[in-house]
Amino acid sequence: MTASPMLRIDGLVKRYGAHTVLDGVSLDVSPGEVVCIIGPSGTGKSTLLRCVNGLDDIQGGEITVAGMPARAHSKGILEVRKRIGMIFQSFNLYPHLTALQNVMLAPVVVHGEKRSTVEERARALLAKVRLSHRFDAYPGQLSGGEQQRVAIARALATNPGLLMFDEPTSALDPETVGEVLAVMRDLAKEGRTMLVVTHEIRFAADVGTRMVFMDQGKIVESGDPREMLADPKTPRARAFLQSVMAH
Amino acid sequence: MDSTVFIYAGVLLKAMGTTIWLSWLALLIGALGGFILALMQTSRFRALRIVTLLYTQFFVSVPVLIVLFFCYYGLPRLFDIEISSFAAATIALAAHASAMLSAVIAAGITSVGRGQWEAAQVSGMTYPQLMRHIIMPQAAQVILPPFVGVYIRLVKESSIAALIGYVELTQTGLLIRESTHAGLAIIGVVALLYFILNYSISLAGGALERRLKVAGRPPLGARQ
Repeated sequence: MTASPMLRIDGLVKRYGAHTVLDGVSLDVSPGEVVCIIGPSGTGKSTLLRCVNGLDDIQGGEITVAGMPARAHSKGILEVRKRIGMIFQSFNLYPHLTALQNVMLAPVVVHGEKRSTVEERARALLAKVRLSHRFDAYPGQLSGGEQQRVAIARALATNPGLLMFDEPTSALDPETVGEVLAVMRDLAKEGRTMLVVTHEIRFAADVGTRMVFMDQGKIVESGDPREMLADPKTPRARAFLQSVMAH
Repeated sequence: MDSTVFIYAGVLLKAMGTTIWLSWLALLIGALGGFILALMQTSRFRALRIVTLLYTQFFVSVPVLIVLFFCYYGLPRLFDIEISSFAAATIALAAHASAMLSAVIAAGITSVGRGQWEAAQVSGMTYPQLMRHIIMPQAAQVILPPFVGVYIRLVKESSIAALIGYVELTQTGLLIRESTHAGLAIIGVVALLYFILNYSISLAGGALERRLKVAGRPPLGARQ
């Protein structure tokens, strides 16, 4: 078990009709790693995450999460999803539930835990994302940054082995990006296993243990974030990093 | 208005109760059927969607009166069973209601954004859990107003049961008119009772709507 990766993606192929979005992607994520996926828009970074938890079906290759095969519409996909916490670009909090209820729902409903123990943990998690004062607020009453922090607490509530972030700060106002990144930084420090699709290159360089550059449905380059930033090996990664860092 | 109306007040109120019972039962059965049809209609399985489409299109297109006659005169012959006018009226109204409500409920379900489904799915929820905790509470706000409209329509449509001799509010009014000299006045009273009934339903629906709205505000950052 020691050497087995939390997530293994092997030769993943994803097509929408005739259009190939992911073209033979292979990637392993070991426990404790923080893998940041960067690359131009429309290269299949988000689709990759969606394939891992079975929101999108795949046309080729194999994905395993903690040793279990992950495939949309398969019987085992629920077990896979229970082990992954997912954070979306658009938060997707449940608008009819308060912040606290949002965090508590999955542990109670999906994992069948006792409401009282879950509530205690949910309060602690909301405190951890610095929202102790917002337990009873509805998502509509929260700012984007606050909503995304509730979403992170919600993903943590079931103590998943893998956290997946799908451009978590892309829908945020610039002034609230920092507070979300700070929370993510804390999680990385705790040793959480994270797979992060992001445009925040600086965050990826600081916090990531590995950087993966994707372009046109393929992994073009991957390696140590600081090395890659300083000296990209491929022309495409170089061109991309230059254009992002220029801003 | 002469005293006949007052003499028959008790009979009329009892008949009103019958109308409420008939339309309420049809609504309950129709809502259950409509819910199942709506789940089929929003399913990813094409065969289920086609079956639902045929069913709803049939009952939306054919007059309730024809369905009622078929239930009352046709079903006994087809299956060699006895069927009361009450049962026939309930079946016909419920069939019609289920077709109308399936469209209403399906619209409510599809009004809940893709992101809500996905957030619930990735947390490991099963389809029933997802429906119960995430989709239906949000869809309810969209469903309720037209649902109340369907109920009011059902109350009115239940008067066609008079045509197969079931003694509900309309038929009671017609019988009193025939056997007394009350004339049009009694029809006016019947109309007034329908109005009171349906206006009350409308008010109750409005109150329920306001209560649902308090909690469910759309998130500021929702982009789905």
